[in-house]
Amino acid sequence: MEYLIVKFPETREVRVDGVPHGRTNIVLQFEAGIHDVTLGPPWNFAPLEQKVLLLNTAALAPYQVEFRVLPPASIPISPGSPP
Amino acid sequence: MVRARLGALVVLFSLVAVGCAHYPLNAPLATAGDGRTGYRFPAMVVERPDPADEIFVCLSFSGGGTRAAAFSYGALLRLRNIDIGRTGRPRSLLDEVDCIAGISGGAFTAAYYGLFGAATFDRFYDRFLARDIQGELALSALNPVNLARLASPYFSRIDLAAELYDTTVFGGATYAALAKRPRPFVILHATSMANGAPFEFTQDDFDFLGSDLGSFHVGRAAAASSAFPFLLSPVSLRSYPPAAGFVIPRDVSRALETRELNPSRYAWARQRLDLMAGQEEKWLHLLDGGLADNIGLRSVLRAYDRSGGFIAQRINAGHIKRLIVIAVNARTDPPEQLSRQARSPGLADVFMKTATVSMESLSADTIDYAINRQSEREQAQTNVRLCNQRLAGCGAEPFPTFAQEIRTCFVEISFEGLPSPAREQFLSLPTTFALPEESVKRLIEVAGTLLDSSPSLQKLLRALRGEPTPGAGVGESGNCS
Repeated sequence: MEYLIVKFPETREVRVDGVPHGRTNIVLQFEAGIHDVTLGPPWNFAPLEQKVLLLNTAALAPYQVEFRVLPPASIPISPGSPP
Repeated sequence: MVRARLGALVVLFSLVAVGCAHYPLNAPLATAGDGRTGYRFPAMVVERPDPADEIFVCLSFSGGGTRAAAFSYGALLRLRNIDIGRTGRPRSLLDEVDCIAGISGGAFTAAYYGLFGAATFDRFYDRFLARDIQGELALSALNPVNLARLASPYFSRIDLAAELYDTTVFGGATYAALAKRPRPFVILHATSMANGAPFEFTQDDFDFLGSDLGSFHVGRAAAASSAFPFLLSPVSLRSYPPAAGFVIPRDVSRALETRELNPSRYAWARQRLDLMAGQEEKWLHLLDGGLADNIGLRSVLRAYDRSGGFIAQRINAGHIKRLIVIAVNARTDPPEQLSRQARSPGLADVFMKTATVSMESLSADTIDYAINRQSEREQAQTNVRLCNQRLAGCGAEPFPTFAQEIRTCFVEISFEGLPSPAREQFLSLPTTFALPEESVKRLIEVAGTLLDSSPSLQKLLRALRGEPTPGAGVGESGNCS
């Protein structure tokens, strides 16, 4: 198994390969390989999605992905749409 | 004159029957759903975790004809009588079962319980276990009308078997009826004749066929799961162009990018894409599920491993506190005769061994994999917990943790666990859909005996009741603690 942690200032749903998988800032487990990581709504985060390769991780050293909070003026109505 | 007319009528009827005889086609799917419709494990609602997820139990019922069906029925019976009384009122371990994977003979018990729940214990014995299904199939094939139907290239013995199961065992139930039932989610398995890939009767796999599982009859799925090579012909499904709006799931498309890093994920994804029709007509011919996995555990493991898997999602969300997998393995090991003869085995022996010889090693590998996967999770949790305990002692910031520490339990019951001479007797039982009633009753009973004497299960029950395990210290860990 491989381990991933998605860092975000808020507690938010994490979506991996298009499916909900727990929340931000905790250790999540996945099988080795490439996965697409994003967050659930609201869409006040960037980047929209990150492609990660999980390999040779450990529960004590999970792969770390970070999303940042967008300022209110930059928040799109839906992913990919203009603010 | 009358006789001649009668003869002509019979010939005419036969010709019509031959011309019309065609197995029922699976229906195309017009529009792809959002991954929540159709027969698949319910999509997780993160905001409202299902309390039923807390103790998450999956059963796997192996193949083995009526032997496996009776053995798994006996396991259900015993689980129904195990009270785990979690909420202050009686609740059986069977009430906690969330999914059942069924193969071949075990598929009948799994599907019947999925469809009829508690009524299984009033009906399944007479409807299936006590019957000479093989004799009925042979009689059905000798019926003149069916003889004519069997002459059609589009209707074969398995289609007769599917009709028999559908009408006399499952009451004509379709997957739409199964989808209306509460848990457990039932996964019946078959094997693709083209590439040996496992096939699951779930809407997730039917999506790749562009087909709607809802109108498909459960009896026909059970027939596919038990279509033993040479004895029965395959069940055929049509692969249609993808439904409007169908998008290949991300876990499949991403798996194709990393073959060398994760060959099993890649192979699984490749096999899903192989189901899809291109420009030309495509058909999927399904044989006994035991050819790919005779213990039925692999679909449960995929649900644990894959990012789209319903167990993985619930573990990461912290909904599952205990993950319990009980494998009901009706494998046999009859006395070996081939090794005692100097002459080369005949064609019949070669055919039979070709169809069955790989099942054993595959099943053992699958059990090893299941145990290792569970240990791996427990070990990871222990590492994080112990490190954080040390860090807390010196006031340092702790490592991030999992959403929930889960306790895992893997239980396997098989005839190997019996003392002699019962062990040898059960290991010598044949694989057939016609067992003497005495054997059926003994199989039902022995499943209960094996569960009662399983150290892992007994350890689990003590843990669920909050009782200490004799000889164990505080904070006991390990399988089923």
